[in-house]
Amino acid sequence: MSRSMLALRGVGVSFGGVQVLDHVDLDVGEGEIRGIIGPNGAGKTTLLNVICGIHPPDIGQVVLDGDLVTGLKPSKIARRGIGRTFQTSQLFKGMSVLENLMCGLHRRTVTGLVGAGLGLPSCREEEERTEEAARLALEFVGMSQFADRPGHQLSFGQQRVVEIARTLISEPKVVLLDEPAVGLSLNRLSEFDLLLRRIRDDKGVTLLLIEHVIRLVMDVCDEVTVLNSGRIIADGKPDVVRNDPSVVEAYLGKELRARHSAS
Amino acid sequence: MDILRRRNVMAALLCVALFLPVAANPYQLFVANLIFIYVLLSVGLNLLLGYAGQLAFANAAMFGIGAYGTGLIQVHFGWPFLVAFPLGALIATAVGLTLALPALRLSGLYLALSTLAFAQFTQWVFLHWEGVTFGAGGFKTPQVSFAPLPVDQRHGLYYLSLGIVVAMVWFARNLVTSRIGRAFITVRDSEVAAESLGVDLLRYKALAFGLSAFYAGIAGGLYSQMLNFVSPEGYDLFQMVLQKAMVVVGGLGSIAGSVLGAGTIVLVLELLREFKGAQEVVFGALLLVFIIFMRGGIISVIKRHIPGWEEPLHRAPTRPEADPPAASPLTPPAQERGAS
Repeated sequence: MSRSMLALRGVGVSFGGVQVLDHVDLDVGEGEIRGIIGPNGAGKTTLLNVICGIHPPDIGQVVLDGDLVTGLKPSKIARRGIGRTFQTSQLFKGMSVLENLMCGLHRRTVTGLVGAGLGLPSCREEEERTEEAARLALEFVGMSQFADRPGHQLSFGQQRVVEIARTLISEPKVVLLDEPAVGLSLNRLSEFDLLLRRIRDDKGVTLLLIEHVIRLVMDVCDEVTVLNSGRIIADGKPDVVRNDPSVVEAYLGKELRARHSAS
Repeated sequence: MDILRRRNVMAALLCVALFLPVAANPYQLFVANLIFIYVLLSVGLNLLLGYAGQLAFANAAMFGIGAYGTGLIQVHFGWPFLVAFPLGALIATAVGLTLALPALRLSGLYLALSTLAFAQFTQWVFLHWEGVTFGAGGFKTPQVSFAPLPVDQRHGLYYLSLGIVVAMVWFARNLVTSRIGRAFITVRDSEVAAESLGVDLLRYKALAFGLSAFYAGIAGGLYSQMLNFVSPEGYDLFQMVLQKAMVVVGGLGSIAGSVLGAGTIVLVLELLREFKGAQEVVFGALLLVFIIFMRGGIISVIKRHIPGWEEPLHRAPTRPEADPPAASPLTPPAQERGAS
């Protein structure tokens, strides 16, 4: 396996006595596309929230590219190079698509209050570079024609793609995608496969995605991790995981599993 | 319609303002100066409310702290206005910055309530800390002298206010087309997404509160000096409603809107001064009409009908090579825009 890019060591989180994540260990290699699947309530989104700092873990560690990031503020963790998208669209409604993308470069720009307010040359220059980068990122995801549209005028699926572009623009090490394929029609799904692969291959970004669309997970992921009730119950290549009896049981229940293996 | 572009309209307003003292009587000059002060207040409040999306009710208190700070430093220490004025604004800014701390935990109505409580507390201090603030009766401030310049207080203060307004509106315009202004909007539209892009919530909330308090503090210093009098009731809840009304009528999230909103509200209030009682009725009706029928304020109507008023949130790139063809006599600009 390649160098570890993102690792969780013995992560545990409980909300009011309910153990949401229980001693989770995870190792994602550089340039890997890792899928996280599991039934509703398995703790998938909590896992992402732990990684990006929204819920610091009760115990355990999060290691990004060799650096411990446990307990840092979400904005600090983002600055270290973890981008993410959310289950619901979090496009900034009051901005155009282009401006949304420009926000993605926030962590890589430095203009301060005075420079911005006085419109100093350094600020103008940075602003031009930001816009250039935003246009390139839009081109990368094939949405240049929407640059000047207000974000909320896009379809749900398009908004998700813009959000992905917004995280890519700052050249993150890892991007966490929370159900990115929700709202995509079936024929756009294969385009989406391609996009995820291009993100990995052209941008060198490690991807961690939660997904319910099993087809997408099986097609695009190098490794799949299955969570159930806060525990990892299987971990490995997609086709190995697919036939793992404990996975089938988690999804279908015991009785159905018997029928499943009988048929 | 090209002549009505924002740049031209603002330049025309500035020309009127520059030469107004030649023609205007003292009352008209007073009203114009009042507009300058309210432009500062509404632009500052809009940065906090319209851009950063923080529903705070302490702007009138910051206005008061600026006014009291400037006045009291002159009265108690005998320092000149030109020293006391920036100090007053800095005190307001410092207090404003501390308000960002509750804003980190509270949002929406809860933030509104806690900042309202804070505003009432400042009222209480103005009223009851009599040894320092002179209580309910207020106090007089000395006339300011612009000594080497051959101007009296009225004209000196008028041009000082005008200069400050132009500079601070320009500053705000630059700010909202930069990464800082966009960061404000990320905080307003989605805090989780803002953080996921590396925007530090505390930093940007503090910046928004500090900036709006600074604008209000500067306005307070000018206001106290214009009246040569400071008393608690100038900075009460009605003052807060007035400022909110300007921002709403002008348009949330628009600097040009704030300028127009402040001008409109001050003029309406002054025109109705003769009809006692009508002031409040019309003012209330105006607010209702705008909230129900024109959510985006005056500026949204202008943006819809007149080109050249758009306010992008990034600095439009300067493309000198693209300009000459548009300006050439073969393609008159009027034709390009003829359709709209």
